[in-house]
Amino acid sequence: MQLLVPGGLALLLLAVPILLLYMLKLRRKPAQVSSILLWQQILRDRQANTPWQKLKRNLLLFLQLFILAALTMAFARPAVLTPAVASGAVIVLLDGSASMHATDVAPNRFEAARRAVGTLIENLPDDSRLTLILVRNTPQTLIAAENDKALLRQALASARPTPTSADWQAAFALATAAARNASEPVIVIVSDGGLPTTGLPALPGEVRYVPVGVAQDNLAISALALRGGQLFAEVSNYSSTSHTVLLSISEITAQETALRYARQLEIPPGEQRNITLENIISNGGIYQAQITSPQATTPPDALQLDDTAFAIDRETATRRVLLVSKGNLYLEQLLAALPGIRPFRALSDELPAERFDLYLFDGLYPPQLPPGALLFVNPPPNPLFAPGSPFQPAEMRLREHPLTRYVDWSNVHILQANAATLPNWAETLIEADGRPLVFAGETEGRRIAAVMFDLRQSDLPLQVAYPILFSNLIDYLVPPTAFDASQSLHPGESLTLVPPPGTQQVTVAAPSGKLHTFLSSDASLTFTATEEIGYYAINFLSNESNRVEYFAVNLFDPDESDIRPRSSLQIGQKVIPPAATERTGLRELWPWLVGLALLVLLLEWMVYHRREYSVFRKRY
Amino acid sequence: MLLDETTLRKLHRLTLIARRIRSGAIKGERRSSKRGSSIEFADYRDYTPGDDLRRLDWNIYARLERPFIKLLEEEEDLAVHLLLDASKSMDWPPEAENTLHKFRYALRLAAGLGAVALASGDSLTVGILQNGRVTAEFGPTRGQIALPRLFAFLENLQPDGETRLREALQAYALTPRRPGLFILISDLFETTPDHFLRLLRRQQEAVLLHVLSPDELDPPLTGDLQLLDIETGQTQDVSLDGGLRSLYRKRAAAWLESLQAECRKQGMRYLSVVTNRPWDEMLLLEMRKANVVK
Repeated sequence: MQLLVPGGLALLLLAVPILLLYMLKLRRKPAQVSSILLWQQILRDRQANTPWQKLKRNLLLFLQLFILAALTMAFARPAVLTPAVASGAVIVLLDGSASMHATDVAPNRFEAARRAVGTLIENLPDDSRLTLILVRNTPQTLIAAENDKALLRQALASARPTPTSADWQAAFALATAAARNASEPVIVIVSDGGLPTTGLPALPGEVRYVPVGVAQDNLAISALALRGGQLFAEVSNYSSTSHTVLLSISEITAQETALRYARQLEIPPGEQRNITLENIISNGGIYQAQITSPQATTPPDALQLDDTAFAIDRETATRRVLLVSKGNLYLEQLLAALPGIRPFRALSDELPAERFDLYLFDGLYPPQLPPGALLFVNPPPNPLFAPGSPFQPAEMRLREHPLTRYVDWSNVHILQANAATLPNWAETLIEADGRPLVFAGETEGRRIAAVMFDLRQSDLPLQVAYPILFSNLIDYLVPPTAFDASQSLHPGESLTLVPPPGTQQVTVAAPSGKLHTFLSSDASLTFTATEEIGYYAINFLSNESNRVEYFAVNLFDPDESDIRPRSSLQIGQKVIPPAATERTGLRELWPWLVGLALLVLLLEWMVYHRREYSVFRKRY
Repeated sequence: MLLDETTLRKLHRLTLIARRIRSGAIKGERRSSKRGSSIEFADYRDYTPGDDLRRLDWNIYARLERPFIKLLEEEEDLAVHLLLDASKSMDWPPEAENTLHKFRYALRLAAGLGAVALASGDSLTVGILQNGRVTAEFGPTRGQIALPRLFAFLENLQPDGETRLREALQAYALTPRRPGLFILISDLFETTPDHFLRLLRRQQEAVLLHVLSPDELDPPLTGDLQLLDIETGQTQDVSLDGGLRSLYRKRAAAWLESLQAECRKQGMRYLSVVTNRPWDEMLLLEMRKANVVK
């Protein structure tokens, strides 16, 4: 134990005035009595136990001196050396990534890490400040430069691990920012060591590493993909020994989960085994691959997050496009060439009763608009956009817009175009002499685009811009899919949803059953709550229909699946060994002393009032 | 006025009790141990104002036109000695007008007992004990005529000085006295009570009226005090807390008990008088109970 402010002991001199006051206080009050005869007698009786009486009489003095002593000691700030991993400005990077779910240490690695950080907080010297950063796909500062242990404990308790990969670069950037104002920062990394070996920025100050986890063994489904009637699955062994697992693949439908395939695989250490299933009938099913231990009672390894994977059979929807034209070779060839399109042709204004996703009117305007998206090329005067007179476009300009991306209009020449008044729901994509030449927009729940010139009156069909512009327009009018998730997502990865036209509400059901509901007002939505592993159902709800699509979130992260704890970390050129606890911190004892002084003060008050009260009670 | 009329009238019906009857100097109202030769009549004596008119011999008065009192042979008077402690310690509580004031209370007791004695035709002597001496004396006298003088005598007294009971009693005894009933009214704050008790007993038949105020039995004091004895001027440092106070109370109770036991042993009557009892009730009720009067 040592005293941080030994000069504080000088306060003990205050004992002198206390003693003086006490002596003054002991100048007795004179009181008259009729006779002191009886008093003398009882005082004589008391002679026998005088020492105790003296002590009792001076109990208050002793208590007061004790309070003074305790407070003086508190002022001197005694402190004991305690073992501590870190002191000073401490920045803790707590790994909350997928590999921390491994259950090789009870209950899991994250809880073990939480305990380690808890110990660090408990042993944190009083003059130290701690910043706690939870490392996951988006690292989060849980608490910054705090020395209140209650707040630190609270922040630590709020930390939750995620099945995501850890963005160590971002975490290091956060740590560097947090360490900026500290003179000698200590950065403590509490992790199982799944840090990337390259590309990490150097950390300021001293870096310490508290390793978590013991198990070496983990097997993972490292790939699962479904494409063109083929299912591909790959199982990796990240252990240092050979393992045998049972790989089973089931198809999940609304009614049942049917086992489609099962095979026992023996995988040497550090290698993969894969299987391919042919002739998968495409019926929009969900395929689940799972590895289990051949002795089905035990889990195959310590990390269960990567023992299951999902694949969604999700062919890109084929869009049915009806070309209504008196004959246009350019458009026919274009529709035949564009992927994901099934073209149909109608010769007259008489539209078939069958429904199409897109109606392309070439030089025509139907007396009654069909349901679905509409693309007009060289439209005649009509009620949708006010009819205009023909003109010769001289100066043409391409507006900056996603639909004009990669479109090179510089070599396009147009002999004659029709002027049109831009409807208020539409946006101009290409303009000529200040008039809209190509425009698109959405009205009454459907998307409409118009090209205000005859293709045959221009050299556009000969340009590269032609297929690109029309492909963009068709993809806008009838999106190929509501979202692009041809591969499965990683946990935490965001997904852009483009609801079909007319969608009023989008509901996403997470694997746990949690529902996320969005009212569809925008053209696209970004869904970010993909931190659960499994398959998600997206429900596009409109007045007419209810379309359900699925996407899967799988771990598929070799860094996370490789749960072998690293005995040391390599950051840049530095190799960081595990931290020992030889470092010491100071734990100050003054709060205890002040508390003790307060307690004794209370005791003194009670002793004093007990005397007073007994007199009071007798008198009245 | 020490006693009011009503109380006085009530007191007239009382007589002091002397268990061992002493031979009287003159004929009084008490039965003597001496058996006389004649049956009833013994003598005449001059009437003094205040004498019981029933005992006036009206025949003699008719003949001689002078009042005489008949004395009967078997009746004799009793010598009553009222000894009053007038030391400073009796001047307590310090406020003299306080109803609990000990000396005031003692004066009333003395007046009452004196009135009883005079009304019974006993010979009354009142001795005031101060500083180991008899500083004032009233009587011996007889008859109710002496009552106003007695009151005047008592009312002029002031408590002062020490008691030194033993010396005072010795001094009182030095003067030749008729044996009779000794009534000592005191707070008995004396170091050696048994001495004067023995002295008292040897002399006479004695009644001890022990006068104390309530705060002497349970003092309302607390803290670190220097106690000043108002009688002796001595001081005593004391740190008073609940424990010491309870010890004092126990001690005071034991003191009263030991005095009572000692008196019983010596064949005296003892009556503890605490001044919070109404004094007339004390005279008319408690003294009767304690066989001091009947």
